[in-house]
Amino acid sequence: MTKQYTIRLTVNGREYQRTVEPRLLLADFLRHELNLSGTHVGCEHGICGACTILFDGEPMRSCLLFAVQADGHDIRTVESLGTPEQLHPLQEAFNEKHALQCGFCTPGFLMSLVPFVESHPQPSEEEIREAIDGNICRCTGYENIIAAVKLATEKMAADQ
Amino acid sequence: MRIEGEHVFKGPRADVYEMFRDPQVLASALPGTQELKKIDDNHFEGTINLRIGPVSGSFAGKLEVSDEVPPEKCTLTVEGRGAPGFAKGVGHVQFLDQGDGTTLMKYDGDVQIGGTLASVGQRMIDSVSKSMIRQGFETFDKALESRLAAKASGNSVEFTPPTEAEFASKVAKDMTKQILKTQEARILMYLIPMVAILGIIAYLLSR
Amino acid sequence: MAGKFIGQPIKRKEDVWLLTGKAEFLDDINLPGMLHAAFLRSDYAHARILKIDYSAALRRPGVVAVYTAQDFGDYWRPGPLQVPPPTAIKGSLFNAKPLVPIAKDKVRFSGEPLAVVIAESRYIAEDAFDDIVVEMEPLEAVTDLEKALEPNSPLIHEDLGTNLAANVIQQVGNYDEAAAQADVVIKRKILVDRGAAAAMENRGFVVDWNERAQELTVWANTQAPIPLRNAIAAKLGLFEDQVRVITPFIGGGFGPKIMTSQADDVLLPWIAMRLKRPIKWVEDRRENFLATTSERDQVHYAEIALTKDGKILGVKDVFYHDTGAYDPYGMTVPLNTQTHTISAYDVPNFYTEIKMVFTNKFVVTPVRGAGRPEGVYVMERLMDYAARELKMDPAEIRMKNLLRPEKLPYHTGVIGQDFVENVLDSGDYPAALRKAMDMIGYEKFVKEEQPRLRAEGKHKGIGIVCFTEGTAVGPYEGVRITVGANGKVNLVTGISTQGQGHFTSLAQIVAEQLSVPIDDVNVITGDTGHFHWGAGTFASRGITIAGTAAFSAATKIREKAIKLGSKYLGVPEDQIELSEGKIIVKGDPATFITLGDMAMRANPTRGVVEPGVEPGLEAVAYYGPPHGATGYGSVAMIVDVDPETMKVKVERFVIVHDCGTIVNPLIVEGQILGGMSMGLGQSFFEQMVYDENAQLLSASFMDYLMPQATDMPEKIEIGHLATPSPLNPLGIKGVGEAGAIPTPPAFAQAVENALADFGLQIMETPLSPSKLFGLARQARQGKGE
Repeated sequence: MTKQYTIRLTVNGREYQRTVEPRLLLADFLRHELNLSGTHVGCEHGICGACTILFDGEPMRSCLLFAVQADGHDIRTVESLGTPEQLHPLQEAFNEKHALQCGFCTPGFLMSLVPFVESHPQPSEEEIREAIDGNICRCTGYENIIAAVKLATEKMAADQ
Repeated sequence: MRIEGEHVFKGPRADVYEMFRDPQVLASALPGTQELKKIDDNHFEGTINLRIGPVSGSFAGKLEVSDEVPPEKCTLTVEGRGAPGFAKGVGHVQFLDQGDGTTLMKYDGDVQIGGTLASVGQRMIDSVSKSMIRQGFETFDKALESRLAAKASGNSVEFTPPTEAEFASKVAKDMTKQILKTQEARILMYLIPMVAILGIIAYLLSR
Repeated sequence: MAGKFIGQPIKRKEDVWLLTGKAEFLDDINLPGMLHAAFLRSDYAHARILKIDYSAALRRPGVVAVYTAQDFGDYWRPGPLQVPPPTAIKGSLFNAKPLVPIAKDKVRFSGEPLAVVIAESRYIAEDAFDDIVVEMEPLEAVTDLEKALEPNSPLIHEDLGTNLAANVIQQVGNYDEAAAQADVVIKRKILVDRGAAAAMENRGFVVDWNERAQELTVWANTQAPIPLRNAIAAKLGLFEDQVRVITPFIGGGFGPKIMTSQADDVLLPWIAMRLKRPIKWVEDRRENFLATTSERDQVHYAEIALTKDGKILGVKDVFYHDTGAYDPYGMTVPLNTQTHTISAYDVPNFYTEIKMVFTNKFVVTPVRGAGRPEGVYVMERLMDYAARELKMDPAEIRMKNLLRPEKLPYHTGVIGQDFVENVLDSGDYPAALRKAMDMIGYEKFVKEEQPRLRAEGKHKGIGIVCFTEGTAVGPYEGVRITVGANGKVNLVTGISTQGQGHFTSLAQIVAEQLSVPIDDVNVITGDTGHFHWGAGTFASRGITIAGTAAFSAATKIREKAIKLGSKYLGVPEDQIELSEGKIIVKGDPATFITLGDMAMRANPTRGVVEPGVEPGLEAVAYYGPPHGATGYGSVAMIVDVDPETMKVKVERFVIVHDCGTIVNPLIVEGQILGGMSMGLGQSFFEQMVYDENAQLLSASFMDYLMPQATDMPEKIEIGHLATPSPLNPLGIKGVGEAGAIPTPPAFAQAVENALADFGLQIMETPLSPSKLFGLARQARQGKGE
């Protein structure tokens, strides 16, 4: 039996304390230990981006992190972005522009994009493509995702 | 995957061949080898720990020596199977007396891999195996040196093979050296010290 | 046929769940007491199993059970076939070798399951692999399709005495006579290589046996819930109603999720019944590459015979098709290749022969396109080389040979995957080509822009191709629609959904027919507890077949509502109409009864009813077409090639497409764009590479390159034509595979055109920068000849 570690971390604004094996992936911890299953696992080797979460505000692959590495840190998952009653402008824009089909990669895209749309109020198409280059989508061909990001930044600018 | 190359040993052919057929030396040339049992003169079995990129694990290995014409040539057949997959290599080795006290060893062979080794690690097999061969020869050279020295002085052979950790770090360094051969890396090698020196000068001037 | 809902870009109802992370996918399902399964898989592609010793694994804490083939006793057996053999085609030879659930005595592909480990967690289950000792005697592997048929080749299935899985010949007219009369005969060897569906979500399976209720519940991300349920019930000796298969949200299908006889489907229910605890299995990405089906992998020896002014006299195509180690899916993929070779063209003489071959790779079953891309690729490349030989423009030679609209419906004489003759139902193929040429500015580019760019030393090229897409094949699908007492309408159907928006598009059809707000229509797909008749989601048939059944069922309810409303409101039926969820009197909307109240009245809990009357406002309807509906179109693209790095940038991508009546334009465009990105992947990025030992060398995203956002064309334009299909009342055709089919040949033509001064010939797909480099060098070296 390997040694277990107690970790304390904040996830979506709430503090958690759990005892885990050192090899438990952060993705598995969030999904199965905390029942936050919005973060999805697509490849487990850090390329597809479906598992992207915000780690102290930075987008990171939760499949390449161990839960113990999140000890003392702040994690945000897609569940923190919005609710069906109150969607984040990105989520609204994805719906309006048909930027998701099966939806499996979508939480990863959203979390990769949150810091981007906050820091790029008027992104060019090129900048948007680069920003999402680390996320693979098999269904949409990316076009509508790019349109959705543009629309989201417009919505966010109008809200201000 | 084909492998081939040559190496010059600083010693007479008979000694080189004898050393080459010594199972202890063979085992030490490939650190990670946990044990090497002799079944008979031409058959050996053992286990070896291997790491190739993200794939690592323990392999049960068999080594067979065949088509032997000492001290000229022989064929080595190595088979390894383990959790990370399997590997099979057949290598033809020739030893040529250069006439100047050195021996030229030529090798050519074929390596086939399978399992996770192949499906996830195949891009790294080439460079890792080249590095392992290079390290192996370094070990052989040292072993040969000790052997010849001992022969000359009449003492017993003193030779410590490199540890698994030393070996692994050398392999890593080799691979970094290959990366550093690129042009961008070379530029960085100039820029970083320059920036450091400028930084120091700026600091000193500011005081 | 645009209406209030049909033809409108209605935003998808299911998005809210997916966007907020609340949608339940397979791996999100957790049941109390659940165990986890993992499969120990063979490294060798071809080997005899000498011994599997798992005693040490059983001693590992957390491991509950381990099973190998022997432990399943009589339960272990191959098959059955998922698709029947092509007996409809005269003279066809088919050697049935369905999947085995787990390897017994022999492994036939790298990744074949050797043992199942059941443990308290997936981590522990995979740890136990190290404890299992496997001894195998490796055999020579079979990888080359042509060598596999040579007399001294190792045999995958020894009892067959051959590696030939099937031989099917179809002909129209007489090709040899046509070729004898032709002015030009072009012959080429063309290769279409293997690619994966690589949906973002891997396959998985959760099974729960309720011992007290004697009921088995399965959650699976399957495209065929009803066949899966029937297969499980049959194997376990249960009543079909004792088994319920539920599909959660599915993260992409594209074909491989349709299998129903893989290790998880067959073994886990049996194990769950014995261990009496729920079991979950989820594949990892490497397993998906090794042991979930993939497709393409054909070698074609094709030829085309033409007159000197470019009229096609005949086409001949003899091709080898790799089925992998087994052939559970019959001839579906190569039959699609046969029906899509002559595609949209008028070809009076056609000879096509399939040699389907067993190899030591995993099984080939449909992946978006399902054999059609191969046929179209071969035909379009032959057209291009014919054009080159005859010094004709590629668009010109196509326009000359396309079937004219007055010839449709056109009986091709070639039998397809649905075992009936492929009939091109409706369409205007020349109009699609013309429109694509206009949209991309074809003449202007070829005559003015390209010569100018060439003079500047730039390598820009244009490609233009035509294609058809057979969709919406039988056998049938069904739906049941029920109006609830609260006026909300529920539709249930047997097909499942993997992102194509059935929850919205089917609701649109119902809302239109019943005149209810679209938010009041709920759609449940893929739950055999709700509906248990149907075949599944494949061949771009969901909206056409289930949608037509939905239209029929909704029409039945509409008629019943009007009949009952007329009685209740006391006016003749022609005075009644439906509006906003109410049954009203025309011109007097204040006189009404809500649909919900009417449904309640039609379901009395006391009293007597008239004989022959059925309760409520509910209808079941089925639809099966006489043959598939054929979508079609034309693709043009402009590429820029860097001759030093051989990197290709797609500057413009134009697709003109006709899928008949469009139910939801957002969804149709989404399907076209998604198909295009997979088509681009199959043109230039994705290839499953096997070595001579049938080891898969590209079993991760590090080596199997998926197209990313920066790989997409800079400018994409979609043009629509809408020729309704005569086969169903709404005139719908399928569209799911449209983007994937024409992209590779258009890409090849455009790249050849861009590198015209290199004179290279592209006869394979996928390409890559290094392959192009090699082809260019070959062409330069061969130029002296």
